[in-house]
Amino acid sequence: MRWALSDSNSKRRRLPESGQWPDKLMVPAIIAAAVFSTAGFLDAMLRVGPVNGASVNGFALIGGQVVDHVQLLSQKIFYFHMPVAIVSFVLLVFAAYYCVRYLVSRELRFDTCAQVAMEVSLLFVILTMVTGDLWTRFEWGVWWTWDPRLTTYLILMLIIIAYFILRNAVDEPERRATYCSVIGVIAFVDVPICFMITRLIPSSLHPVVTRQGGMTGDMAAALALCLIGMLLVGFVLYRARFAQVRVDQRVQALKDELALFEEEGRAGAGSADVWPFSDAPLAAEPHTQPSGED
Amino acid sequence: MDPILADIYSTIVPSAPYLIGAYALLWCALLAFILVIVRHVRKSEKQLVLLEEEVADLKAARAQRGVAGDAPADGGQE
Repeated sequence: MRWALSDSNSKRRRLPESGQWPDKLMVPAIIAAAVFSTAGFLDAMLRVGPVNGASVNGFALIGGQVVDHVQLLSQKIFYFHMPVAIVSFVLLVFAAYYCVRYLVSRELRFDTCAQVAMEVSLLFVILTMVTGDLWTRFEWGVWWTWDPRLTTYLILMLIIIAYFILRNAVDEPERRATYCSVIGVIAFVDVPICFMITRLIPSSLHPVVTRQGGMTGDMAAALALCLIGMLLVGFVLYRARFAQVRVDQRVQALKDELALFEEEGRAGAGSADVWPFSDAPLAAEPHTQPSGED
Repeated sequence: MDPILADIYSTIVPSAPYLIGAYALLWCALLAFILVIVRHVRKSEKQLVLLEEEVADLKAARAQRGVAGDAPADGGQE
């Protein structure tokens, strides 16, 4: 019995919880995210020149350099659009990992982790869509086109939205977690499809960096700074939201415990004991102690 | 402006609103998400403290009553 308790405790310790070591990295991560994002933004805007578009009939001398192509400022959306998309993919990978962990262990904490990862991922997916749409509107003249990359990414967003619709539709925690875990894994399957679709269908209009000759060193540096900044922002948002959800779960567990007290108090109202702190009398110990672990 | 230079910069000014819009929306959405989380956590933590106090009071009172219940039945008559 002692062994069983100790084993159970060690298992509990292994479960993700707010206040564990990743939370100790929150403050440095916030500072680093601000520094990298700002540095990336300034680098992209001030140091990296606008990308050359189509050539024009003539040339001009600008800053001692001969320029003979249209300058594309809208391309600078790319420095945050791509990192935001990458972070959404990374979060979906984590969500799928926790979904699989739940399906294997049936431990509801993993379902909570997957839910939080999906939420933050949805935020990044929406931001990717919005920043991409603003670029599309200017470059292609339309808000939306059924380009393979855009379509697969839209499907990904719809799968994530379906995940939350399903989450709200099922009341029983175990059943809800199981169904949602399956949807989480399906969303993950769409990630490599989204990523590879422009390579699989070369007629896709969506720009592909490698197909278009890659990036120059200064462009890659600005992109790397923005990517590191966004990954850190994603980490901070995930941990902050996870802490919030855990506090909510503890509040709910305490409310349930109080409700149980009052319910049992009412059941024992016929006895001589009268609860001194409430109108409802209390007669017995609660049958179950809410663990607050799910 | 030199027509060639105007042609070279022809997309700079028209695309600026889209660029500014994309960055502004991105950071506004991220900040809004953080603010919502922080406000919600503060509210929940206040609630948590109150509930924990209430549960602790309930448990203490019940334990007290349990001790009194263990006393001999004729104890109060002496």
